[in-house]
Amino acid sequence: MTNSFALDWYFIALILFIGLYCMLVSRSLLRQLIGLEIMSKAGLLAVISSGALTSNLSLAQAVIITMIVIEVVVVAAGLALLAKNFRINKSVDIWNLKGLKG
Amino acid sequence: MERGLLAYILIPLLSAIVIPFAARNKPRIADIIANVTLLAGLANMAYLLLNPSNIAESFSNIPGDGFSLLMVFTIYLVALCVVFFSAFFAGPMANRQAYFCLMLISVAAMCGVVTTSDFFTLYIYIEVLAVTSFALITTDDTSAGLEGAIKYFLLTFPASVSIIVGLSLLLLSVGGFSFENVKMFMSAGSPDGAALFGIGLILLGFLIKAGVAPFHAWVPDAYQGSFAPVSTHLAGIVTKISGIYAIIRISMLMRFSEGEAQALAGTLMFLGMLSIAVGAIAALRQKDLKRMLAFSSISQLGYIVLAAGLGTPLALIAAIFHLFNHATFKTVLFLNSASLEKAAGTTDMDKMGGLEHAMPWTSWTSVIALLSTAGIPPLSGFWSKLLIIVALWAGGAKVYALLALLFSIVTLAYFMVMQKKIFFGKKSAAAGISEVSAPMLAPVVLMSAVIVAVGLLFPYFYAYLVETIAKRMIL
Repeated sequence: MTNSFALDWYFIALILFIGLYCMLVSRSLLRQLIGLEIMSKAGLLAVISSGALTSNLSLAQAVIITMIVIEVVVVAAGLALLAKNFRINKSVDIWNLKGLKG
Repeated sequence: MERGLLAYILIPLLSAIVIPFAARNKPRIADIIANVTLLAGLANMAYLLLNPSNIAESFSNIPGDGFSLLMVFTIYLVALCVVFFSAFFAGPMANRQAYFCLMLISVAAMCGVVTTSDFFTLYIYIEVLAVTSFALITTDDTSAGLEGAIKYFLLTFPASVSIIVGLSLLLLSVGGFSFENVKMFMSAGSPDGAALFGIGLILLGFLIKAGVAPFHAWVPDAYQGSFAPVSTHLAGIVTKISGIYAIIRISMLMRFSEGEAQALAGTLMFLGMLSIAVGAIAALRQKDLKRMLAFSSISQLGYIVLAAGLGTPLALIAAIFHLFNHATFKTVLFLNSASLEKAAGTTDMDKMGGLEHAMPWTSWTSVIALLSTAGIPPLSGFWSKLLIIVALWAGGAKVYALLALLFSIVTLAYFMVMQKKIFFGKKSAAAGISEVSAPMLAPVVLMSAVIVAVGLLFPYFYAYLVETIAKRMIL
């Protein structure tokens, strides 16, 4: 039983760092958004795993469902920003976002 | 959650729902509804806080720990100033209804953040706040605003992930998300590694959202790029509520002063000091007014985080008082920068000069606000900085106390440079520029009056902070 939870946390860390790597190396804003999504999935897995470990699954499930809803809203807002950005700047390259300096 | 404060969340939300229907054909109705809602809330709150019978009853009629109440008051005060100002700033705006609607939702979310009593609800309200902020930053559809919003988005979303993972570790070791659970957990003895790591991750998320020094990259861009009244809203209250409030709350819950979470407290104090230094030094060499104010904001946040990291009752009330003062003086300065943007058409400090006679009200309210920021008595900023430095000295962090004092002088230096470049000096650039209209000056003058009044009535506020926060904090 304990071993499977250790495996859970191993995969959570792995997914988290895959998402972080995706954010760090890609120049496309869209890929950065995908990296963010992967990271937040690791967060959700962590919550459900710790809920199962402390036999607090009902609380964890309620939390997860709320978090999924919040995440959808945030991603929709983010995609709207990216779409607006593409319409104005005609590019999804993150290195083109350098108008503000000081 | 304080049940009495629920109305302060629900009423703005209701007004936000009403606005798109009521103001469909007449956009002006949107500003009237928004202003009336916020004014009613503010009047109600002011009655609660400033009731003369409070002193006689030594604040026993104020529910809860007083922190939430003061924060709700601050939120309404800043939001009313911003909404009133933007009603006259924009002229015909394309999406007026949406703007005021989002403003009210943001107020409701902030009130939710400060009245909740568990970390998970806190997280939800903060996400709602972040989504409204993305939309508000891009109000004027410029490419700069969009860039600021995207940078804000890309840095605050990983912060949310960090908060979620921290919450799951909290669930693992503490067994729940509520403040009560954490309190009981801490009273049971020294926390274990997993709990500390979880709280550390939550703190990291809130530090990124607050824009404290190593994570401050998004702050200047978001403030500079956004629609002018919205940058006031962001700098004055949104980033403070979404980051700093939770940091102070965690410092209260984790009892940083008793040394059980020494590593976290020490890190927090170091980051606070770093933030003071980085913000002040970077502000010295800025050319753009809004960007300079953003760095100054980072520097002032450092004082709050420094005091929160120390965690003694005196340091905590000093941090809360500085949070309130920061909201007042930063609102004045950012609203003045918006007035300048409208009057002079630029926020580049090198292109302005000698505006003192053209814009006397803007000039003198800026002087009041900057003296308060730099900590000149008898203005409000002096008292909170004094309390922070005294608390640091008494808490044994003498090096930090001296450095905080030193950088307070640097604060005065960069604000003097700003004032000289924009308002004093040669009159060459001032031709054809005149003072903005009276309704746009009203919020600034109100806030300046608040700064002076809080400075002069300091004993009352000190009594409020001690009686309602420091004494009830003993858990």
